[in-house]
Amino acid sequence: MQLLAQDLVNGILAGGILALVALGFSLVWGIMNIINLAHGAFIMLGAYVTYQLYQSFHIDPFLSLPISFVALFVLGWLIQRYLINWVARAPILTTFLLTFGLSLLIVNLALIVWTGDTRGVTTPYSGANFTLAGVTVPWVKLYTLLTALAITGVMQLWLTRSKTGRAIRATSMDIGAAQLSGVRTANIYAIVFALSAGLGGVAGTLISLSYALTPTMGDPFLIKAFVVCVLGGLGSVQGALIGGLVYGIVEAFATQIDVTIGTQHISGSGLQDAIALVVLLIVLIVRPTGIVGKATA
Amino acid sequence: MRRIGLGGITGSPYAFAVALVLMVLLLAIPLTHNGYIEIVFRGILMYATMAYGWNLIGGYTGYVSFGQVAFFGIGAYCSAVLSQMGVNNLFLDVLVACAVNGAFATLVGLPVLQLKGHYFAIATLGIGLAITDIIANLDALGGTSGLRVQQVDEAHFSVYYYAMWLVALAAMLATFFIARSKLGYAFVAIRENEDAAAVLGISPRRFKITAWAISGMMAGAAGAVYAPANGFLDPSIAFSADSNVFPIVMALLGGIGTVAGPFIGALILAGANELLQRYFIKIHTLFFGAMIVLVVLLLPRGLVWLFGLKGGARTWLKSLTAYKA
Amino acid sequence: MSVQTQSQSQSSHEVALRIENVGMRFGGLWALSEVSFDVERGCVLGLIGPNGSGKTTLMNVISGVYRPTTGQVTYAGKRIASVPTHEVCHLGIARTFQVVKPFASLTVRENVAVGAMYGRYGAKRSTRASFERAQELLEVVGLARVAERPASDLTVPDRKRLEVAKALALDPDVLLLDEVMAGLNATEVDEALQLLRDVNARGVTLIVVEHLMKAIVSISTTIVVLAEGKKIAQGAPADVLASPQVIEAYLGSRWVKRQEQLKEIEAQRAHAAQVQPPDAHG
Repeated sequence: MQLLAQDLVNGILAGGILALVALGFSLVWGIMNIINLAHGAFIMLGAYVTYQLYQSFHIDPFLSLPISFVALFVLGWLIQRYLINWVARAPILTTFLLTFGLSLLIVNLALIVWTGDTRGVTTPYSGANFTLAGVTVPWVKLYTLLTALAITGVMQLWLTRSKTGRAIRATSMDIGAAQLSGVRTANIYAIVFALSAGLGGVAGTLISLSYALTPTMGDPFLIKAFVVCVLGGLGSVQGALIGGLVYGIVEAFATQIDVTIGTQHISGSGLQDAIALVVLLIVLIVRPTGIVGKATA
Repeated sequence: MRRIGLGGITGSPYAFAVALVLMVLLLAIPLTHNGYIEIVFRGILMYATMAYGWNLIGGYTGYVSFGQVAFFGIGAYCSAVLSQMGVNNLFLDVLVACAVNGAFATLVGLPVLQLKGHYFAIATLGIGLAITDIIANLDALGGTSGLRVQQVDEAHFSVYYYAMWLVALAAMLATFFIARSKLGYAFVAIRENEDAAAVLGISPRRFKITAWAISGMMAGAAGAVYAPANGFLDPSIAFSADSNVFPIVMALLGGIGTVAGPFIGALILAGANELLQRYFIKIHTLFFGAMIVLVVLLLPRGLVWLFGLKGGARTWLKSLTAYKA
Repeated sequence: MSVQTQSQSQSSHEVALRIENVGMRFGGLWALSEVSFDVERGCVLGLIGPNGSGKTTLMNVISGVYRPTTGQVTYAGKRIASVPTHEVCHLGIARTFQVVKPFASLTVRENVAVGAMYGRYGAKRSTRASFERAQELLEVVGLARVAERPASDLTVPDRKRLEVAKALALDPDVLLLDEVMAGLNATEVDEALQLLRDVNARGVTLIVVEHLMKAIVSISTTIVVLAEGKKIAQGAPADVLASPQVIEAYLGSRWVKRQEQLKEIEAQRAHAAQVQPPDAHG
């Protein structure tokens, strides 16, 4: 029972991050119909920004949140404006390969700058945790979850209340009507993509507190982001949140699997990608619109 | 029946003629008695085969797959396993790889090919990753430490080159004959408008699975020859990201949905990649990333399309802004 | 409650398609209910009705796109609903779609050839034979001059012709035409009508859904009228169009009442005029 509760809590804690990762990914997918394979690279950059700030200027990771957001926002804006914009309405292969190529570029630049050595962000409070009803909760992970929830909440408010936010939602619903109402789609796309990159950067900052840093660290998050989006439905904040939490919990339990059949040892933690795929296929075939919302392919 | 200027669904016939001539020329490579050159060109032929495979499901049928590496890896492991069992016959290797991959493609294709667009693409990406995970965890297949694969001796080493050449030729010719046949039209019809194709009597499921199975067999055949040629196989070699992406970019550069495209793309890109690895090892992946971005933005239909283009530079320039936001 | 009149077609009186008690429900709404009629082989059946009367729904049921909630459609003894989409054409039924979507990057001839390759007799045709058949059909519909052009280049009327050619490539016995004349000007409509007559003369039974009254009347041997999902009239064009129920369905009961009131007033005036001639002074 203890173990189950621990898994559940671990799952929720991890799920918060996944939700944040998926949010940016989902916005670009839902609104621009582009799957941004460079999203993992954005996450990685956010993490390294935090790392570098901590290493060189001793800026606390939580304080570097706004910095990584702005840095990645600008990068995302530039990328969209001068590269992606040219093929915004192209078939999926084009945008896939473009973002994939960008990802290769970014990751390899990171490899050159920071080498492939594994790094970490270790603060004095990194290892601290508290115990509640027999379940161990690391403080860092709790703060991460709360921050992720806060940011998600802010995004939701902004999307529903602000003028730009409403313009964005209008564009995603009916681009023609939005344009007729005076919305400049090129600008909207730029903002959405930049925002998504910014969110990725922020997610990266939070991730750097709990995970090891390497230039390729973003890849596993990419696949999970996809599954979370499919789980939760596209383009909605609640979807990303629910999808993230659900997937976090599923993964926490699945990685506990540890059986031996004959001489073959099967461990859940080594099969994370396979688990992701199975979840993905099940959801896509059984309930393609996701748990929460409407998906637009 | 004359085709339109763009070469219809086979692409420019001139490009195909050029590709065939080059293929024949490649037969002479082992005569240079230069092991390095032979390996480089063998790699080109391998990638060309995989590019043909991808071209069939992604280019002709329009189902963009990011998981062809799974077929390549499975084919490679077929050879490795056969070698472990004492069977070291290249023909059998290829045959078994084709059979296994055909079955695998059909089985997995039944649920996965119902997905469209982005969902299909990511599902195939997931399949590639999942298979890697699974095989890496299977002790019977050597797990992460891999398997040794029996090789022929130094003197006869060129047999692997010729085998890969045959496989590549088979892929090229198969694509050619398919493109000219009813089958090719079924694939293209599905790509252009799957519902309209169904109304005209084409069973989407049947033909999509056929396309995927054939493409899987091509990739598998390449893998089956690669394993003994390399002498050693482990999950990271069999399922490398390179094997996944290179063929796609090659097909794109050369011209998707054409017969000559994959080969031309493989020649150019694999050649360039090799040169870069030799002289600029640090930045060669950087180059590749930049290459992908440039090809996607500037040559979305590929070189073969450029060959058959009426209107020259102006039409090309106009096409660049076709998809602007 | 339908008006049956003697149909004056020259068709064979053999039943090609039987629609029996077909009903189609979407959520809480019955888009069709209790629709029954036979389609005689060789006839041209016009399917008309006000907007929302269920014509396209019925077309979808007949061509196997929808499975009817109640009732069935049988063709040559086989129930259509149980046949998957890609096999419907092998039965002998083909249709055109309102929203035309050709295979854009294939040529016009290739578009039609695909139908010839995979349609009813496609299995026996080689690629070459399919292209020859396609060329024949392009002559029939008048697209031979653009045979080599990519389908995406065609004008709207030509796209409609292409739709018809593709459907014909399936060697159908029954051809369903869904608003094939929408968007055509008067000349183009006449050309389309002639084309349809030619097709019918070759032995193909036609079911035509159209809004253009004149077109329907000029081409149909029988007309079936739908309103609010029910069949309210069936028979020869002239009879059906004169029927009060049909008029009421299109123009509404208030209009009909008004017409009757106007007639009454007119009659009274005429009567009054006879009794009391108008004043000489004016």
